[in-house]
Amino acid sequence: MEQFKIETIAPLTVAGADLSFTNSSLWMLISLISVAAFLFIGTARPQLVPGRMQAAVEYLYEFIRDMLRENVGKDGLRYAPLIFSVFVFVLACNLLGMVPFVHSFTPTSHIAVTFGLAMIVFILVVIVGFARHGLHFFSLFLPEGTPLFVAPLVALIEFLSFLSRPFTLAIRLFANMTAGHVLMKVFGGFVVSLGAVNIGLGIIPLGVNVALTALELLIAVVQAYVFALLASIYLNDAVNLH
Amino acid sequence: MPQFDPASFVSQLFWFGVFFALLYFAVVRPTLPKVGKVIDARETQVAADLDRAEAAKGAADTLRADHEAAMKAARDAAQAAVAQARDAAARASDAQMKALAARLDADADAAAASLDLARASARSGLEATVSELVGEAVAKLTGIEVTPADVSAALAQR
Repeated sequence: MEQFKIETIAPLTVAGADLSFTNSSLWMLISLISVAAFLFIGTARPQLVPGRMQAAVEYLYEFIRDMLRENVGKDGLRYAPLIFSVFVFVLACNLLGMVPFVHSFTPTSHIAVTFGLAMIVFILVVIVGFARHGLHFFSLFLPEGTPLFVAPLVALIEFLSFLSRPFTLAIRLFANMTAGHVLMKVFGGFVVSLGAVNIGLGIIPLGVNVALTALELLIAVVQAYVFALLASIYLNDAVNLH
Repeated sequence: MPQFDPASFVSQLFWFGVFFALLYFAVVRPTLPKVGKVIDARETQVAADLDRAEAAKGAADTLRADHEAAMKAARDAAQAAVAQARDAAARASDAQMKALAARLDADADAAAASLDLARASARSGLEATVSELVGEAVAKLTGIEVTPADVSAALAQR
C-alpha cells in the first residue's frame, strides 16, 4: 500500500486543521497544469478550420456535449463546462497516476478526492433540481403511476437511492483505481519473488503486468467516462424529473 | 490502507477544492466557450452552405428545364418551317408544271389549227389548179370551153 501513502511536502496548519501540501496535492496540481496547458494551447486562436490542438479540445468537448445532449437534452448543454471539468480532472488524475519512474501518485485512488468530486455532482443536481422545479423536485422520489399503498415505501427507497448516489459514485472510482493499482503492484512483486527463484519464471508475471498496464490505462479512461456519464444521467433527473 | 486514514481527508479535500475551483473558473470557463462558439459558427456556416448549394441546385435544375423547353420549342418551330417550305415548294412546282402543260397544250392546239388551215388552203388551191387543168385538158381534147366553175360543180356532184 506504499503507492497510496500520503506524504507531506509542505506542512500547513490553518486554524488547527491540517492543510499540508502533500504528494496528492502535487499530482492534482500537475493534472491541473496539464489540463490548463492543453486547453490554453488548444483554444489560443480558435479557427473555423481547427489545428491539431484545437481539434483535440473540440473532440473532447463535443464528446461531453454529445453525452449531455443524449442523456439530458438541449437544456443540459449549459452544464457542459462543469461536466467537462469533472471529466478532464478525473481523466488527468487517472492517467498521470500511471506515469512510471517519477513516483507518481493517483489522487483519484483516494476516497476523499473521489467523494469531493461526487459531492460536486450531487450538489449540482440538488441545486439545479430545486432551481428548475422548486418543491416539485420531490416528485422525483415518487415515480408516476405508483399504486398509493406502496407509495411510502417506494418514496423511501427512491430517497435512499438518491442519497446513496454520491457514495456509489465516489466508491466506484476509488475502488477501480485502487484495485487496478494494487493488482499491478502485486504482479510487480511476483516478478521479483519468482525472478529470485529463476530468472525465466519472472518473465511470466512481467508479461501479465504489461497486459495489466494496458488494462489499467483502459480503466483510467473508462472510469472517467463512467463518472461523467453518471453525472449527466443524474443531471437528467434534476433537469427533466424522470 | 492509507485511503481510510481520516487524518489526510481535510488536506485532500481542501486542495481538491482549490484545484478544481481553479480548473473550472480559471481554465475551463475562459477557454471552452471560445471553442463552443467556433463549433456553433462552423455548424451554422455548414448549414448555410448546404442551403446555398441546395438553392443553387434548384436554380440549375429550373435553368436546365427552361433550356430543354426552349430547345424543344426551337426544334418544333424549325420542323414546322421546314414542312411549310417543303409544301410551298411543292405547290409552286405543281403550279409551274400546270402552267407549262397548259402552255404546251395551247401551243399544240394552235399548231394543229394552223396545220388544218394550211391543209384546207392547200386543198382549195389544189382544187382550183385541178379545175383549171381539167378545163384546159377538156378544151384541148374536145374543144369544148369548160370553165373552172363547171369543173368544180361537176366534182362536187360526184
